[in-house]
Amino acid sequence: MFSRRIDKSPYGYLFIAPFFLVFFIFDLGPILYSFYLSFTDWSGFNTPTFIGLANYERLLQDTLFFKSIYNTLIIWILSIIPQLTIALTLALILHEKFIRGKHLFHAIFYFPNMVTPVTMGVLFALMFDWQNGSMNKLLMALGIVEDPVYWFNSPFLSQLIVASILMWQWFGFNMLVFLAGLQSIPEDLYEAAEIDGANKFQTAIKITLPLLRPVLIFTMITSVIGGMQIFDQPLMIGKGPENSTLTMVMHLYEAAFVRYEYGYGAAIAYGIFVLIAIATAFSMWMTKLKEKKEG
Amino acid sequence: MNKKNLLFTMLVFIFAIGTLVGCSGGEETSGGSDQELNNENMKPEDFKGELDIWTFFGGVEGMAKSFEEKYPNVTVNVEVFPGDQYQTKLMTAIQSRTDVPDIFDLERSYMGRFINQEFVANLSEMGKIEDRVENYVPYVKSLGEGKDGNVKAVSDHSSPGAFWYHRDLAKKYLGTDDPEKVSEMVSSWDKVIELGQKVYEESGGKVHLLSHYGDVFNVEKQHQEKWIQNGKLVIDPAWKDIFMDMKQIREKNVDAKLPYFSGGWGDALNEGGVIMFAMPAWGGFMVNNDGGQAKGKYGLAKTPSGYYEGGTFRAIYEGSDNKELAYEFIRYISGEEWQTKNLEETGNMPALKSVYEKKLDTYTHEFFGDQKILKQYYELVQDIPPHEAGEDQNAISTLFYDAASAAIDNGESYEQALERFKKLVSNGYPELEIE
Repeated sequence: MFSRRIDKSPYGYLFIAPFFLVFFIFDLGPILYSFYLSFTDWSGFNTPTFIGLANYERLLQDTLFFKSIYNTLIIWILSIIPQLTIALTLALILHEKFIRGKHLFHAIFYFPNMVTPVTMGVLFALMFDWQNGSMNKLLMALGIVEDPVYWFNSPFLSQLIVASILMWQWFGFNMLVFLAGLQSIPEDLYEAAEIDGANKFQTAIKITLPLLRPVLIFTMITSVIGGMQIFDQPLMIGKGPENSTLTMVMHLYEAAFVRYEYGYGAAIAYGIFVLIAIATAFSMWMTKLKEKKEG
Repeated sequence: MNKKNLLFTMLVFIFAIGTLVGCSGGEETSGGSDQELNNENMKPEDFKGELDIWTFFGGVEGMAKSFEEKYPNVTVNVEVFPGDQYQTKLMTAIQSRTDVPDIFDLERSYMGRFINQEFVANLSEMGKIEDRVENYVPYVKSLGEGKDGNVKAVSDHSSPGAFWYHRDLAKKYLGTDDPEKVSEMVSSWDKVIELGQKVYEESGGKVHLLSHYGDVFNVEKQHQEKWIQNGKLVIDPAWKDIFMDMKQIREKNVDAKLPYFSGGWGDALNEGGVIMFAMPAWGGFMVNNDGGQAKGKYGLAKTPSGYYEGGTFRAIYEGSDNKELAYEFIRYISGEEWQTKNLEETGNMPALKSVYEKKLDTYTHEFFGDQKILKQYYELVQDIPPHEAGEDQNAISTLFYDAASAAIDNGESYEQALERFKKLVSNGYPELEIE
C-alpha cells in the first residue's frame, strides 16, 4: 500500500519557490542588511563605514534607550490588564445564550480596532488638551476640577492616556478571539456541570477558563509582541514630559528617520528584537511551567 | 545532478536574477559639467522638453503652470508627496539612482543635510545665478549656499514672521489698532510682558496678549551663536534671556497657554481670546476666510526681532540629463516676474529685495485691510542674521525648547533647564563635547 520511497518530485519546490523568493528578497534581505548596518556609521548619503560594535556600545550607554524600555513596559502593563479583563468579561457575557443582538455588539466593540492608530492618537491628544480638551471641559462642567488638568505635564497621566488608547483599540479584537475560543468548548461539558448543580461562576472558573488557556496564551504572546512595538499612538501624542511616552520604536524612529543615523537606528532595532525575543520566550516558558505543574 | 534537478535549479536561479536585476538601478547619467550654460541669451520658445519636479508643497503646481505658460514648448511634471514621507522617498530615489527628478524641493529644517552632497548640482557653475541671489534677502541667499560658498539651492520666497493681531481686540485693550503704534508697544519682550499683564487684568483673565511663550523662542532662535562649534556644544548666554522671558510670560499670565499651531491656537486666531500671534507670512491658510469674513480683521506689527519660519528651496540633481532646462526653471523662479506674480496671487513674500522695494507702497493683503504689510516684513526680514543651513542647528534648537518648556511647566530654574538640555543633547549627539 505504501511505496517504500517517498516521491520527492522537485516540482513541489517550484510551487513554494515564489514565497521563499519574495521572503528572501523583501524580508530576509532587509533583516540581514540592517544587521550589517548596525555595525556601520551611515547617514544615508555617504557609503556606510564599518565601525564594529560601536553602535552597540552606545546603545548600552544610552539612558534614553533604557528609559524607552521602561516606558514601553509601563504603557503595556497599564493597557494589557484592563484590556484583557474587559475583553474576557465581555466575551463571557456575549457568549451567553440569553443575550440578544450579539452580532451587533461584536461589531460595536470591534469598531475601535478599525480606526487607524494615528487617528486615535490625534483624537486622544485633542480630547486631553490642556486648555481646549473636551475631557477638561467635561470635568469642569461637572465641577470635579476647578482648573483644567494639564494631562501631558504628568509622566504617569501621559502614559495612562497612551495606555488607554491601546486598551480602547484592542479590547474588541481580543474579545473576538476569546469568543472564538469559547465557541470551541463543547456544550456537553456545560450541560454535565449544570446537571451536577454548578452555578455560572463555577462553570466559568472550572470549565471555561481552563479550556480557554490555549487562546489566552495566544493572546498573551501576540500582545507581548504588539505591546513592545507601540509606536503610532504615542508618536501622535509626542514624547511626553520627561520623555515619558517615548517608546522603544519611537526611539528607533528618532535615531533613524529624524537624525538619519541609520547605523545606530539598526542597532536599536536589534536591541528591540532581542528584548522581544526574550519576552516572548519568557511568556512561553511561563505557560509551559504551568502546564507541567498541572500535568 | 539529474536533469530535473538541473532544470529546477536553473529556473530558480533565473527567477532570482530577474528579481535582483529589477531592483538595481540604472547608472548615474552625466556627471557635472563645468561649462556655464548659456541660458541668458535664449528665448523661452527655444527651450524644449520635459522637466520632473518632486516636492512636498502643493503650490509648486501653480509655479509649474506659470512656467509652462511662458515656455510653450516645455512640459513640467510635478509630483507632490505630502508629509514626512517626502524626505525618505527622495533619499531612497537618490541612493538607488533611479527615477530621480531633475529638480527636488528641500525644506528649511533638513536642507542642510542635503545641499553639501555631491548629487546636488552646483548652480554657481551653471550660470549667472549668483548675480540673481546677490539681490536676495541676505538670510535666504545664505541658506542656499553650500559650505564652499557656491549656490546649491534657491528659494523663490522669504518667510518672515511678524505679530498678526486682532484689530478689534487691539482697539479695545491696547487702545489703538495702528500698526506703527502697536509695533512700538511690543518692540521688546519687557514691553510685551508689561502690556500682557495689563491686558490680563483689564479683561479679568479672559483675554491674553500672546498665545504661548513659545513665540519668544520662535522669534529669537536665529539670533544666537551656532550650537556646534569645532565639535563642541556652545551655549550662547542669550539663551538665558530667552528662557527668562518665556518663564515670565507664563508666570505673569501673558500667554493663553495655547501652543503654536495647536487646535486651541487656531480657534484663538480665528475667534479671539488672544490678541496677537507670532506667525510667518505663509500662515494665512490657518485663517478662516469663508465669505470674506477675515477681510481687514488683522493688523501686522513688528516682532521684537526679525525672524523667519520654514522655507522651501529648490535644487537640481547632479545626475539629471536635463540640467539646462532645470537651470532655466530655477532662473525663472528666482526672477522678479515670478516672485511678483507669486506675491500677488498667493501672498508669499518675495526673496528678491527689488520686489519688496517695488511693491512696498502698493501691496495689500485682504486679511490686513489697507495696511501696506511689506513695510513691516521688509524691515524684519533684513534683521534676520544670515547663516548657513547647518545640519543639526534646528534639531538642537528644538531640544533646547523641549528642555526649556519642560522646566517652565514644572517651575524650574534656567540651570535646571540647561541640565535637561545637556542630557538630551548628549543622548542624541554622543560625539559632541559638552561642558
